[in-house]
Amino acid sequence: MSHIDTSANLNRWRKKSLLEKSLLSFGMLLIAVSVPSWQAALVVAAIMIGATLICARVVPGVWWKAFTAPLSFLAIGAITLAFQVDSSLHVSLAPGGLELAGRLGARALAGVSCLLFLALTTPAADFVAGLRKIGVPSEIAEMALLMYRFLFLLTDTAEAMNAAQTARLGHVTYGRHMKSLSLLIANLMPRAFARARSLEVGLAARGWRGELKVLSPVRKASALNLGIIVALELLVLAIGLWSR
Amino acid sequence: MSLLEARGISHTYPGDVRALTGLDLKIEAGRRLAILGANGSGKTTLLLHLNGTLKPKAGQVLLDGQPMRYDSDSLISWRRRVGLVLQNADDQLFAPTVGEDVSFGPLNLGLDEAETRRRVDSALAALHISHLSDRSTHMLSFGQKKRVAIAGLVAMQPEILLLDEPTAGLDHQGTEDLLAVLGGLERSKTTLVFTTHDVELAYRFADDVALFDNGVTIAEGEIAEVLANDDLVRRARLATPFLLKIGLRARDLGLLGPNDPLPRTDDAALELLSRAESPA
Repeated sequence: MSHIDTSANLNRWRKKSLLEKSLLSFGMLLIAVSVPSWQAALVVAAIMIGATLICARVVPGVWWKAFTAPLSFLAIGAITLAFQVDSSLHVSLAPGGLELAGRLGARALAGVSCLLFLALTTPAADFVAGLRKIGVPSEIAEMALLMYRFLFLLTDTAEAMNAAQTARLGHVTYGRHMKSLSLLIANLMPRAFARARSLEVGLAARGWRGELKVLSPVRKASALNLGIIVALELLVLAIGLWSR
Repeated sequence: MSLLEARGISHTYPGDVRALTGLDLKIEAGRRLAILGANGSGKTTLLLHLNGTLKPKAGQVLLDGQPMRYDSDSLISWRRRVGLVLQNADDQLFAPTVGEDVSFGPLNLGLDEAETRRRVDSALAALHISHLSDRSTHMLSFGQKKRVAIAGLVAMQPEILLLDEPTAGLDHQGTEDLLAVLGGLERSKTTLVFTTHDVELAYRFADDVALFDNGVTIAEGEIAEVLANDDLVRRARLATPFLLKIGLRARDLGLLGPNDPLPRTDDAALELLSRAESPA
């Protein structure tokens, strides 16, 4: 979680507009899932991984770490397609199974690389601003914003409490570990409430009247970039249709 | 007439914990006021009364001599003039980026986008954190968070800025930098009020002091005068600032005339010493 967030905040394409990034990501995703050609899917994956690692300079280790979670699902899905089990429980290669698995693998890889591109290059603040722009009710956008902010405070607090418990040997045996863990969770609750109350005081001091209005940074999309993205997507689409 | 005044205010927390017991305090425009008191002496509770967050059980708070009311419209115009920075910056920062967080107050004042942007930029510049504008609030250091929290109020341009323990937890350099920055705010005619238990810091930075003990003000006035009174200082469970001791001693030894100003910086005190060394 936190390494994705760090990458989103520190990559080279951090300040690119959400419109450009989502056009690239969702456009490519659409092509990967709708065009049956596996070649197109591989091209999409290559472009998106290239954009993430080379253009936005996301650290490959971070990309890989974020990729391993969906990878296990992907592998299980593809492997079960490649094999068949008959009535005598005999396992064999399914007819055409390898090709099917390859196709599925290529498209899933393309899809995941599209989403990882967006997740690893876009700060959460931009997503929230984007939500407002497309007309999501401000209450929902505000909830998302507060949850995002407090997720980090909560994990920081939990980590500090955990370190304090460890220092007093609270996690040496399984039994004590479970007891300490339950105490930690029970203590987070009142702390969260106290924090919410202090936040209310802090916000009221700044004239809060029930709405969390902030001035989001303007990230203008350039017509040139949008044009390049559309052209690139048309090219991949053409490859996909031609190679079918 | 004082700009802001607390008159006989009392406050009791649940469980019969008496925080303030008939406290009086006057805040004069254009003077830096340090509210000095030991832990648990009621400093934070007082600040929460001075911007209307808490309503006193007895007594009243007056702004420009007018008793304050607690309906939502009055509270809004009150807080427009009196800003409060909480001790824990994490209690105040809620937006994902620094720039957005600082824009919250000005937008609540009903300012338009262009003016808000201008206020945000100048507040960030005043706190020397313009480079952090796009940074995520949760990725900041402790000192940076503190500055962002202060910038959030500075952008609202209040007449009085109340700061709860602004230097608590800051290292030496961080404290010096913050004080320099706060000193710069005075040019924009902001009256500064801050709580602390650090007498050295208060002595170097404040004009006036209010000494607190057990929920009442035990002394109020020009800082050197008040802190020179040993009995009062001891009653407040504090100590006389070392710089002040040096100044008073220098006066006893005739190094300073009875009406000469006492040294308020380390350099001024050292300069006095060198005067003692060289034969007159």
